[in-house]
Amino acid sequence: MNQSKTMEAADRRFGWFMSAPSLALLLAVILFPVFWALFTSVHDYTLIAPNFDTFTGAENYISAIQDPAFRHSLGLTAFFVAAVVLFEFLLGFIVALMLNSVERFKPIYYGILLCPLLMNPVIVGLIWRMFLHPSLGIVNYLLTVVGFEPVNWLGSTQMAIWTIIMVDIWHQVSFMIVLLLAGLSAMPKEPYEAARVDGARVYQSFFYITLPLMMPVIIVTLLIRMIFAVKTYDLIYIMTRGGPGVATDLVSYSIYRTAFVSLNVGEASAMSAILLGFILLLTVYLYRYMRSLT
Amino acid sequence: MASITLDKITKVYPNDVTAVNGVSLDIRDGEFMILLGPSGCGKSTTLRMIAGLEAISSGDMLIGGRRVNDVDPADRDIAIVFQNYALYPHMTVAKNLAFGLKLRHVPASEIETRINRVAALLGIEPLLGRKPSQLSGGQRQRVALGRALVREPQAFLLDEPLSNLDATLRSSMRTELIKLHHTLGTTIVHVTHDQVEAMTMGERICIMKDGDIVQVGEPMEVYRNPANTFVASFLATPPMNLLPGRIESVGAGALVVAMDGVALPVPTAFQAAYASHSGKPVIVGLRPEDFHLAAGDAARTAPIDLVTITTEVLGPEVILVANLASGAGPEIHARMPRDFRAKIGQPLTLHFDLAEIQLFDPETTRVLPRPAHP
Ligand SMILES: Nc1ncnc2c1ncn2[C@@H]1O[C@H](COP(=O)(O)OP(=O)(O)OP(=O)(O)O)[C@@H](O)[C@H]1O
Ligand SMILES: [Mg+2]
Repeated sequence: MNQSKTMEAADRRFGWFMSAPSLALLLAVILFPVFWALFTSVHDYTLIAPNFDTFTGAENYISAIQDPAFRHSLGLTAFFVAAVVLFEFLLGFIVALMLNSVERFKPIYYGILLCPLLMNPVIVGLIWRMFLHPSLGIVNYLLTVVGFEPVNWLGSTQMAIWTIIMVDIWHQVSFMIVLLLAGLSAMPKEPYEAARVDGARVYQSFFYITLPLMMPVIIVTLLIRMIFAVKTYDLIYIMTRGGPGVATDLVSYSIYRTAFVSLNVGEASAMSAILLGFILLLTVYLYRYMRSLT
Repeated sequence: MASITLDKITKVYPNDVTAVNGVSLDIRDGEFMILLGPSGCGKSTTLRMIAGLEAISSGDMLIGGRRVNDVDPADRDIAIVFQNYALYPHMTVAKNLAFGLKLRHVPASEIETRINRVAALLGIEPLLGRKPSQLSGGQRQRVALGRALVREPQAFLLDEPLSNLDATLRSSMRTELIKLHHTLGTTIVHVTHDQVEAMTMGERICIMKDGDIVQVGEPMEVYRNPANTFVASFLATPPMNLLPGRIESVGAGALVVAMDGVALPVPTAFQAAYASHSGKPVIVGLRPEDFHLAAGDAARTAPIDLVTITTEVLGPEVILVANLASGAGPEIHARMPRDFRAKIGQPLTLHFDLAEIQLFDPETTRVLPRPAHP
């Protein structure tokens, strides 16, 4: 029994030894910047006077929260996240259900679906910016061919955020499909047979069996997608730079502007900390939920 | 309640396995029918086709006289107990039982009475609040049975519903099912491996092999007059002894069944039936329970000399395992009274009840027809 204890200790030491290099790397590229940002957020640090001479406490946080532009960004981001996650989920679930009942050519459908997911967001942004160009883009060309008015996809304050939402859906819906499909194909077959004999129609099987059994997969998928959607930055940078005006000024981009356009790194750091808080909240909830499943 | 008719039903699975091969069977309204057969003979497939869960490759399926080949399982009003239970994993036992009733808009108070009644019958009341994952195999099986029973359908399809229960529970459930069938009068198709279940529960037994029906009949009928060597060797434990022999004429129409060093006179009543096989080889079927220690009427029993291989003392009885005295042929099993003892290698003479002899054609393995009783 003593021997097994010493062996366990030896195992643990070996484990630490093996993971030390990657842990050190993680520390350097993640933990250090996080702490540096937190440290910056309580100082008056600008790119004009980049020093930690003045400790300001919560001042950066207060001015960030009181800043109407930042509040607008937070609200817009919440709307954006809700919209993309909801639409991607609905669309993704429908496609996953259809694919789940497909017998032939499954790998081909998978291949096609995975294409957008494999693309870099910058590339996606560039492609769609070209497609959606008001006068030279193919989308407007096709619209006029079938007799519609051309749409000012990215230049209209009403339209721009919806355009971003649509492009994000195009880019990310496969993620939902793949995860939901994995969940669906892992479902036991027997309860469905029992339900059919018990008198259930297809839609009743869906609501009484598929949905409750899929709930863990659905919740995990939604949370992961939310965490990623909150951080959306590349699409905005490439397609609209937050514009027109502040119509697509999502919080990540707004932080970038505060730091590198307004040069106020201290306040930008405070904003980052607030965003980090939201993401941590979602992550903790996700982690708790996944723990509760096992 | 409904009759179930299978008319030349065939099932070929997508991987080209023919699981059921042109089977015809008439299950009468209110009948308790047993499907018996070795593993993989197509029992579950047959049941699943009746339920509508498996598409029928060819043939007609009728329930209550209506052709149901293309009728959805939901519209067949039958209940099935699956071999693997197939409980709803996310619902409690009570909800599992209630599900089918809710879908059929049975009032809540009625659902509750039925659940309580069935739960009491199956002894699962303490489990009603649990999820299937919190149950033992035997408990799950009883819940699966309960889910079928609460439905009160046109017919019950039971796929080995007692296989996972301990001996005591199994025998009490057997009785409960028989009683239930008696009171409800619902058609039941019951799949089993178990000889005792087959003999005691069913009004008729349907014996299957390799996707074919070999014999259908009342339990005692199938036991007394097996259609071929497969049925003879499958039904009852220990099964019928099958030994190589030959029918020989001993003049004036008299026949004997000759085996190694043994000659069993054919009863007069069977002579006409067996006459055409005179001089030909046969397989001789002797039930273990037709061997006796004492000689009876000389015309009715014949002595057989044996050498003991071993004895299996079971308690209520002793199974003697022996060879013919000549030492040839397969082992013979004989059912002896409980105080019977014999040493290994000990020679002894048993007396066989000739009226129970069955002969089979070695080529077709089919029984040689004879009058039922001498
Ligand atoms: N889904 C399937 N696809 C292909 N072949 C199958 C399928 N289900 C069963 N079979 C085959 O069909 C035959 C009959 O199977 P079935 O399950 O009906 O046997 P069974 O009599 O119920 O056996 P057991 O007593 O072991 O339950 C077997 O040879 C089996 O391998
Ligand atoms: Mg089976």
